[in-house]
Amino acid sequence: MLILTLKKEWIESKREGRTLWLSSIILLLLACALLSSWHSYEQVQTQKQQVAKSERERWLNQGDKGPHSAAHYGVYIIKPDTGLSVLDPGLSDYQGSVLRLEAHKKNDTLFRSIQDAIQMQRFGDLNPAFILQTLLPLLMILLGFHSISAERESGTLKQLLANGLSPKKLFIAKVMALTGLGLLFFAPIILYIVYSLLFGDNFSAGRSALFIASYGIYIFIWALLTLIVSSYAHTSRSALISLLVIWALACLLLPKFAIESAIQQYPTESSQAFQSKLESEVYTPERQQAISKFKQDTLAEYGVENVDELPFAWSGAQLQFGEQFANKVFDRLFGQRQMQLQAQSLHYQSAAIFSPFIALQTISMSAAATDLAHHQLFDDAGESHRRLIQATLNGDLKDNGLASIKRNKSYRGDQHLWESIPDFTYQYPAIAQLMSHYGRAVICLLLWLMAMMSLSYFAMRRIENEGQP
Amino acid sequence: MNLLICFNEIKNLLRERLLWLLVVVTVCFSALASYNGYQWATMQTEVITNAEHEQQQAATTAKQGLAKRQALTQPINWWEDRYDLRGQAFYLMVNYATKPPLPNASIAIGQSDIQPYFFRMLVTNKQAFINQYEFVHPLGLLIGKFDLAFFLIYVFPLLLISINFNALSQEKQSGQLRLLMMQGLSPLRILFNQLVIRASIIVLPLLLISVAGLLLFSSGIGLLAISLYTALILTYALFWLAVSALVISYGKTSAYNAAVLVIAWLSFVIILPAILNTAIVTTNTAPSRIEYVDTLREKSDAVDKSSSKVMAQFFQDHPELAKSSNTNKPASEITTSYSTKKMAKIAALEKVMQQYDDAFQTVLMAQQHRAEQFSYLSPATILQSALFDLSGNGLTRHQHFIEQVLSHHKALRYFYQQRILAAHQRGDFSPCENCIARVTLSDLTQVPTFSYQEKTTDAPWSNVIVLLLLSMVIILLASLRLFSMNRSQTGIALV
Repeated sequence: MLILTLKKEWIESKREGRTLWLSSIILLLLACALLSSWHSYEQVQTQKQQVAKSERERWLNQGDKGPHSAAHYGVYIIKPDTGLSVLDPGLSDYQGSVLRLEAHKKNDTLFRSIQDAIQMQRFGDLNPAFILQTLLPLLMILLGFHSISAERESGTLKQLLANGLSPKKLFIAKVMALTGLGLLFFAPIILYIVYSLLFGDNFSAGRSALFIASYGIYIFIWALLTLIVSSYAHTSRSALISLLVIWALACLLLPKFAIESAIQQYPTESSQAFQSKLESEVYTPERQQAISKFKQDTLAEYGVENVDELPFAWSGAQLQFGEQFANKVFDRLFGQRQMQLQAQSLHYQSAAIFSPFIALQTISMSAAATDLAHHQLFDDAGESHRRLIQATLNGDLKDNGLASIKRNKSYRGDQHLWESIPDFTYQYPAIAQLMSHYGRAVICLLLWLMAMMSLSYFAMRRIENEGQP
Repeated sequence: MNLLICFNEIKNLLRERLLWLLVVVTVCFSALASYNGYQWATMQTEVITNAEHEQQQAATTAKQGLAKRQALTQPINWWEDRYDLRGQAFYLMVNYATKPPLPNASIAIGQSDIQPYFFRMLVTNKQAFINQYEFVHPLGLLIGKFDLAFFLIYVFPLLLISINFNALSQEKQSGQLRLLMMQGLSPLRILFNQLVIRASIIVLPLLLISVAGLLLFSSGIGLLAISLYTALILTYALFWLAVSALVISYGKTSAYNAAVLVIAWLSFVIILPAILNTAIVTTNTAPSRIEYVDTLREKSDAVDKSSSKVMAQFFQDHPELAKSSNTNKPASEITTSYSTKKMAKIAALEKVMQQYDDAFQTVLMAQQHRAEQFSYLSPATILQSALFDLSGNGLTRHQHFIEQVLSHHKALRYFYQQRILAAHQRGDFSPCENCIARVTLSDLTQVPTFSYQEKTTDAPWSNVIVLLLLSMVIILLASLRLFSMNRSQTGIALV
């Protein structure tokens, strides 16, 4: 039955040249997008490795200098990519991938590619995720909208049913045929992932499995949806219109409304207000008072009158105290901003109940580590490294700087000190550990699947009723 | 007869539920898109007002605290002293360069959500501040906002297709077409009437609501902007009507027409712009920002290491700053001071990085030039380019803004350079052993302020003309096909 249906669909598609043409164009686009993304990924990875290596060498060979000067010299760290980012670059262009770590400041990542882009970029990039998430459902609609409605219009549906054909088998065969066509477009992606898993070094099996499974389910959902609408529609025309409305809502409009609603519901401050607040809350009279109190407490603890009499270099201790004071403010203000952004992400994900596109987009970006949650994980790791650098440098100044200061000389750290700070390396955690970031999307995608399967039952009943005299 | 056909068409349309749905969608989406654009422009204006207020507040607070500072006897770190030129220049200055939205801004949010519309200025190398950005949820940037530009480019053609796809083909399928033709009506005339009436149902509410929104909420919007906006909508609608006519002229079924029109929409609005963008970016590859960081770091180290050379170059470039008349301080003390060194290093670093910054700018301009050339291949890119330019949220106005920001940055640097060196020469920063620095900046209103100067740009009328020409060509093709349909159908009817 399936083979017969596939044959029939193929012959009909051949008759209607437009869909074959469109399919070929989209398959070609997918191949080009995959090739271009892979080429660009390879280039960027080489650059990232080289620059990270140079940066480490620069840090180690910065020469003898005061530890605090080294803290201001700082380091640049680079966000890693997973192999799946070739398939779904997600938010990479909108987030920046370089972070400067320096004394007294917590920076945002630098150089978002989108700021170097022309305005035509707003139409979107031709990448595999865009083609599979947005264009493939539309292609499946165009291939399958008349699958059952045309049979009804031409009267062949009644004939088929009168000849004893099971409506269930007909429906399932048509769904399988359409899903098979959808999967045909996904096949190059699966091949790429399998090849990379076997021979590449930046692919995680868990992430790849999630990626493949979610796209497989998504394709199946659209195949079911197309056939359900086609089963209910009186004419092919109304089936097509209904499906196009659903597609436009799910893939174009709902994502916009959902993110807009998330931003309205959980607003973040403008950068102007945020920076202004940051400065006014770090450099406050309270900070001066806290430093004075720390000084008094330290003097009392060591039973001395003056910082010069302390058994360590006071400047190191004071700098570290200042860092810790600022860190508390950073934790609070950046934490509040991060919480609002996370709330926005979750709010957006909740809208996946109305759009399988939102569900897949969220899961796909999570698997590829190109979403905001992974960016924030990198940012947090960077901040921890910044604090480690500051604590090590200030600690060294405090512990070893006294002798130089007493000789009225400035204390200078050397390569041993720079080497004591480990190189920054970061690996994203296993995807299963991040379930809280994308769990809603997974549930919504499964709910969509269940809903479509349930509606399929009614669609089959409807076809069955057509055969009743 | 013609009038009768028109009335009949209106009567038929009024009976269809789809019509009312489309009208409701048009009205609601036009209103929502207008509101979103207005809200975005208002938000930007608020942020700019807050920035200006913060700047004024800093000057007022400084004025109020001046007497207290002058009476101060306790030491104060210069980087925490708002009355110290060095502290102001390198750390404390509250000085904003802002780009206010145009009155037409609500038409298209354009690039304004991605490109910075304000900069907090400091005396630092431009590489340290020019890449500032507004931190928002990046998904909001990827997906974009539901503004008038989005509605017009993406949704509006779909609405036109939805209402037009069964024009003429319905009459043909039901056999009415042959009857109408026997009464002397040509398919061209019937289709023309149908398309105009149906399109009006979408275009009129859209124009009415969006233009009313612009007039009500965008104070200062000009008649020229409204005319251009209207012309763009009408020509874009004309293009989609022409495409619909061409598809319908093949005489296939309504479902076939709908599928082909959707493929046309997909090709012109989604696929072609994405291909063009990818092709332009791939053929004019921008330099790597990752490598840029490496270069910046390398050059910065080189500047640090050649301190004496940098200082010599700095005073050679600015002989006016090297004047040592009335000086109380030895030249060596001035040239080895942190602030002088820092200013010299900023100048040196900007100079050596200029070629790398220019490389990005050159590629961006080449890409934009290519994009403007290729934009004529798709009505969507023609409209986008026109709407972005019209709203003042496109690349051209942003480039003007960046040019002015860099000029302002230079002006600020010069202002502080001159005064810091003069203060050094007078010994203001260390008047005596263990003395606190004198007040070197008592009035913050003396610091140069930024005021965006609007540059007049050509209104994108050429985009209207190109859309019109494209539409005319397609209409001509459709008319030729409909004439031949007329001949063959008349022949059949006569037989």
